[in-house]
Amino acid sequence: MKIDSSLKWHVLLCIALFVSLMPIVFAISTSFKELSEAYGNVLGLIPHNPTMANYLRIFQELPLNQITLNTVIVAFAVTVFKIVTSVMAAYAFVYFNFKGKNLLYIILISTIFIPFTMTMIPNYLIISQIGLRNNIIGVILPQLSDATGIFLIRQAMRSIPLSFIEAARLEQAGIFHIMFGIVLPLAKPAVISTGIMFFINSWNEYVWPVLILKDTANYTLPLALQLFISSEGGTDFCVAMAVSVVTMIIPLGLYLIFQKYIISTFTSSGVKG
Amino acid sequence: MKEIVFENVCKKYGKNTIIENLNFTVHSGERLILLGASGCGKSTTLRMIAGLEDITSGNLYMNGQRVNDIVSGKRNLSMVFQNYALYPHMTVTENIIYGLKIQKLPQAEIHARLTAALGKLELDGLENRKPKDLSGGQRQRVALARAVVKRSELLLLDEPLSNLDAQLRVHARKELVKIHQAYKQTFVYVTHDQVEAMTIGDRVAILDKGRLQVIDTPNNVYNRPANIFTAKFIGSPGMNIFKGSYSDHFLQLGKQSIKLSEAWSAYIGEKNCREFYFGIRPEHILLYREKHRDTFAGVVKYVEEYGSRRGIYFETEGSEVVAVTEASDFKPGSNIYFAADSDKLHIFDSKNKKNIGYPEVYHGNIYQYQSV
Repeated sequence: MKIDSSLKWHVLLCIALFVSLMPIVFAISTSFKELSEAYGNVLGLIPHNPTMANYLRIFQELPLNQITLNTVIVAFAVTVFKIVTSVMAAYAFVYFNFKGKNLLYIILISTIFIPFTMTMIPNYLIISQIGLRNNIIGVILPQLSDATGIFLIRQAMRSIPLSFIEAARLEQAGIFHIMFGIVLPLAKPAVISTGIMFFINSWNEYVWPVLILKDTANYTLPLALQLFISSEGGTDFCVAMAVSVVTMIIPLGLYLIFQKYIISTFTSSGVKG
Repeated sequence: MKEIVFENVCKKYGKNTIIENLNFTVHSGERLILLGASGCGKSTTLRMIAGLEDITSGNLYMNGQRVNDIVSGKRNLSMVFQNYALYPHMTVTENIIYGLKIQKLPQAEIHARLTAALGKLELDGLENRKPKDLSGGQRQRVALARAVVKRSELLLLDEPLSNLDAQLRVHARKELVKIHQAYKQTFVYVTHDQVEAMTIGDRVAILDKGRLQVIDTPNNVYNRPANIFTAKFIGSPGMNIFKGSYSDHFLQLGKQSIKLSEAWSAYIGEKNCREFYFGIRPEHILLYREKHRDTFAGVVKYVEEYGSRRGIYFETEGSEVVAVTEASDFKPGSNIYFAADSDKLHIFDSKNKKNIGYPEVYHGNIYQYQSV
């Protein structure tokens, strides 16, 4: 009976794995194909005549190093700022008692449900007014605070027994000692995985940068990708896939480095009270 | 060492009163046990001493200084938490010296205190382990080591043995007393376990629903219970209590009467009241299979096995009585005859339920505390 049920799960997981991996493998494979083969041999995973031409072309036609650097700057700045503000706000919501704490928290959390389309135009007008259009700072600025991170990190902090904090207070530990010496190390998995989530969201952000950025030199990677999909000369899938592969290398690398924290956050959140 | 004085201390959460008008003194260097059932306010009392709970009204003094508004870190005390509060990301050593490092003690001093504590608490060889790699007993000793290296004047312990198994607990009790004798701090110890309270405490304070019932030595708490609550709470099983009246050398309990000794008769005769509660410990009831002179009849309902002894629950005149005996031949349903030793009676006022005291001849009557 036990073997049967585990087999069932294995089959299910294999299907899930196939569904999630297939597009990635498809993208990598297509990026090494010639255009004629991409249309003729759509599903073939191994290119008949593997070529680096697509990659050479994107590096020749675009300031890809600059674009990658822009994307890295935006994603890192957004992630670092958001994590710092989220950690500090979550700490205050968990360990400080102040009037209106719960109300403030509810208001803050309800901002998660405000759609991007609602804030898009006011944000655009503000950024234009302060002259940050066509500037990556204009891309970064509206993304700097976010209630999702406060929510996730607060949940993790709440699972730390209060006696840990009390024991530290008895030792005359100040707030920074408690925050950096005790709370942050224990909430590390949640902080890191929230950070990864912020990073990937910001890395993939398309609509906001496309509104703000005009010059190719200021572009982020998702905008570069779009150049090859809707260009006047028709869509060159192979080149677009090459840009896709370049786009996913950094987030994928970060995931590989931090995967143990990400997994522990998502597996423990269901078990802990 | 620290003396702690509670003066009319109250603690309220909204409309709920947790602690009501607490007045008592913890003497410098003693081991005081706060004992009570869960929810009686004993942990809250301890946390008020630690400064982890605000005091709603009243005053708390330490060595004569009012400390209501002094933050916990400045009260010079250490505490062992029920869950030990060992930091999972730190090793045993890092956990023990955490506070000393914050106080910025010289490295040599930290090392000396650490080595002494590791040795005293038999933690040698575990220095680099993380808490998750320790057994329950080892974790408890690490928590204790963290508390003693601070060399504070006051050590607070919140049910520190409740996570240990029974055998380890007996061992840890002795260790705690040894630690106290070595460091001579004032000890305030919270527990719901009366055996722990009796064996560890110099004095025991019993709390019920936020009120202090009694504070006295373990011996007096057991042998001279100040009120009916204490008499029933301490001892396992607790004391049998009956309502009855006194007239002319006889105690009338329902239809049955017990002849009192001359000393008791004279003592009660001086009181104005005739209605009393009478108490007798289960081990001071004498059981017989056959009817004897001055015995009463009952029917055995239930027998509790304690190993060396048995608790015999029997019914007489509609009320349940428990006796503890070494005999093993009483079975449920069988008839039983019993007598109460009038020398070992406790008598309580029927109105305020307080002990009325003892005739002078019984002042030396101190029995061994028994528990099962």
